[in-house]
Amino acid sequence: MSLLDRTQPPASGEIRQFDFPEVQTGALPNGLDLKICVLPRLPIVSVNLFLRAGEGSLVEGRAGTAVLTGDALEGGTLKRSGSSLAEALEGIGARLGVSTGWEGTSISVSVLADRLPEAFALLAEVVLEPDFPSVEVDRVREQQLAEIRQRSMDPSALASDEVSRRFYAEGLPYARPQVGTESSISSVARDQIRGYAEACYRPGSGGLIVVGDVDPEQIKSLSSEYFGSWIGSPSAVDNFRVDAQTRERRVWILDRPGSVQSEVRLGHVGVARTTPNYLPLSIGNLLLGGTFTSRLNLNLRERNGFTYGVRSRFSFRSQPGPFQVSTAVGNEVTASAVREILSELESLVVDGVTRKEVDAARDYAAGIFGLHLETAGQIASRLNQILVYGLPDDYYHLYRDNIRSVSTEEVTSAVKAHIHPDEVQVVIVGDADSILGSVDALGLGPLEVV
Amino acid sequence: MNQLAIPLERHCLDNGLKIVLSQDSTVPIVAVNIWYGVGSRNERPGHTGFAHLFEHMMFQGSKHVPKNKHFELIERAGGTLNATTWFDRTNYFETVPSRDLELALWLESDRMGWMLPAMDQEKLDNQRDVVKNEKRQRYDNQPYGDWDQRLQALIYPKDHPYHHPVIGSVEDLDAATLEDVAAFFGTYYVPNNAVLTIAGDFDESQVMDLVQRYFGEIEAGAPIPPLPGDSCLEPIIGDTVREHVFAEVPLARVIIGFRIPPYSSEDFAVAEVSRALLGMGRASRLYRALVRERRVAKGVVTYAFPLLTNASMLLTWATGYPDSTPEQLEAALTEEIEALVEAKQSEVDRAIALTETDLVRALEHVGERANLLSMFDLYFDDPDRLNHEIDRLRAVTVEQIRDFAASQLGSDNRAVLVYEPKRKS
Repeated sequence: MSLLDRTQPPASGEIRQFDFPEVQTGALPNGLDLKICVLPRLPIVSVNLFLRAGEGSLVEGRAGTAVLTGDALEGGTLKRSGSSLAEALEGIGARLGVSTGWEGTSISVSVLADRLPEAFALLAEVVLEPDFPSVEVDRVREQQLAEIRQRSMDPSALASDEVSRRFYAEGLPYARPQVGTESSISSVARDQIRGYAEACYRPGSGGLIVVGDVDPEQIKSLSSEYFGSWIGSPSAVDNFRVDAQTRERRVWILDRPGSVQSEVRLGHVGVARTTPNYLPLSIGNLLLGGTFTSRLNLNLRERNGFTYGVRSRFSFRSQPGPFQVSTAVGNEVTASAVREILSELESLVVDGVTRKEVDAARDYAAGIFGLHLETAGQIASRLNQILVYGLPDDYYHLYRDNIRSVSTEEVTSAVKAHIHPDEVQVVIVGDADSILGSVDALGLGPLEVV
Repeated sequence: MNQLAIPLERHCLDNGLKIVLSQDSTVPIVAVNIWYGVGSRNERPGHTGFAHLFEHMMFQGSKHVPKNKHFELIERAGGTLNATTWFDRTNYFETVPSRDLELALWLESDRMGWMLPAMDQEKLDNQRDVVKNEKRQRYDNQPYGDWDQRLQALIYPKDHPYHHPVIGSVEDLDAATLEDVAAFFGTYYVPNNAVLTIAGDFDESQVMDLVQRYFGEIEAGAPIPPLPGDSCLEPIIGDTVREHVFAEVPLARVIIGFRIPPYSSEDFAVAEVSRALLGMGRASRLYRALVRERRVAKGVVTYAFPLLTNASMLLTWATGYPDSTPEQLEAALTEEIEALVEAKQSEVDRAIALTETDLVRALEHVGERANLLSMFDLYFDDPDRLNHEIDRLRAVTVEQIRDFAASQLGSDNRAVLVYEPKRKS
């Protein structure tokens, strides 16, 4: 006999009030934004320097230059070789990371608090006095080219690249892989890398974010000391307008003979991060394919057993990134999976969403927000979003209230405005011989095997 | 860095369930984490992949929790959840806003105590399909996707419980029946084979009452049966064993694995620090020599598996460039590994400094804290080991590393697995 009534889930307790941690904001005279957040829980600090040196501002023939320049930073400085630099950083337990995206380059250091001043000095040395020796530039280029080759056999990477190529009008930055192409990377010379860093690694419209067990006064003085005499603004900025390649529904099968599974992507050009519909659209995406209990996953995984998982996603960028549903399914159910995905999209935009689903997705979004404020790195990356997309300083302080006030009607109208089942491009990477007939029989639109 | 001081408290219920509590209310979230002492090593021949299939079944509902309700309720609360199966254990975990701690305890206790009444053939068939898709996606359709099972088969003899892959074989998955599910549950998913850790924001005066209320009435099971097969083996392989695979891979990759002392051995710390000297960070030996200076490898990886049963594995791998041959990669790897007999103190210091940063970063997550506490309790009956982990590594001397390289990383203890791109005909 059970002593406890287990038949009902226990009710939630009281909400514990919790605010996004306090952030001190300011700027150096050279235009570099400064955001400092004290998080004394563990003796660790995350430093993130964001520069507007992104792939989005590069012309096609130069694609990959920003990524290569970022990667080549580990090649050494005017003061020390690449190996000595690695030893200096790791000797104090510092992890240096460089990540380059469409909007810019982030150079970050994670280090125990007692080694912060040394880490700061090394970060400044890496960014302000890079050397880019030819031998190291050639190495990172070869690594990048090998990476591209590796991706060419990875079905999921192939699918991502095919999505970019098929969603966007030819020649647009978003139509190509973010790392560039074999030919563009091969043609970037060492002097161009140096020139790129000289022109674009500039403090104007960039920012320095420091989160962790720190004294704000010390951070201010370290920032002035190491970054105060740096001047200028990046010479290149994004100035492109995004167009879809076509508004006609089409199917692309990238033949990968012998595949035991198909990688399926289905979607179209989405919407920019700055859209006023950002929150309702995020909620709409959560209930469509952003959680385990979303419509898509319950259908394809739990009801049909077609897949290990399926997700939908809007990639919010400074310009409209892709909206896509992605999954991997067995050959024999590829066509059925495509049909189910499309029918979920159609019923979403025809019938809209229910209050119950919106309530659940809002609760999820509001709750999960707190789970992502645990670490210095997580908070730094939130603050970086504010910088990159020009969000208001109190954006994250108000986030939970704002997400809770999204209405069912707003979600329905946002998904109707931004999801277009008639315009989707269906991209499949798989064994054409096994799937062509059944996919073609769906009659979705012109089909091409590439 | 000063000594870590992650607070913790231990309890044990009458049914044998071990509890670890670690309070920290800086963020209003709490992690609930259960480790069961069962993994692929407990699988009998003909039943490979069962521990992992069973993990999937644990999300299919229990007596009071309808199918998919577990996901729905945790997601509704704004929490995250997952589970993983490995050689020696299976773990289940949720992180939720702290006001929903009781929900997580209700869900975990219901499937620990009342899972079987909710099982049926349809759920088993559905999850079998999901697992087969997982296998296709993560192993069969991926370049190099089968490396771990090939390496295990080289390092461990056929009767050893680590010889077969965690994901199992399709034939064995197909053969699994509802009776197998019931027997597995009754044998291993018992409170006396589990550790429950709660870490994060909870009320210290109430938490044990909650644990007692939800888990206290679950009955203890029989003692856990011994491992199947024959887990005795020599400390080294005794030779260089090889497998050369021509596959649909883009670049040559050479993996060299070694049999090393088990996680429970004091010498495991020496293996961990040695692997850090070899491959952790960009000042490591393999990165410096193979990637930066000689430029034969595009990337290198090293890892010491924390495995319990008589011997663990240390692996090193190097992925080449389009024009690198496997012979070049193997020669370069071998040369650097053998040169570890001349390790220097400064390298040890660097490895320890990086390890400290990584550990503190991991501990920023209550979920990771809970996971490590569960592991140390289940494996070593000592969750406080988390606070002394760095000391254990700091105590490793450069002489020990040199001896380890000489005795454990030589040609009489190597499993060499080579992937070479299939030549186009």
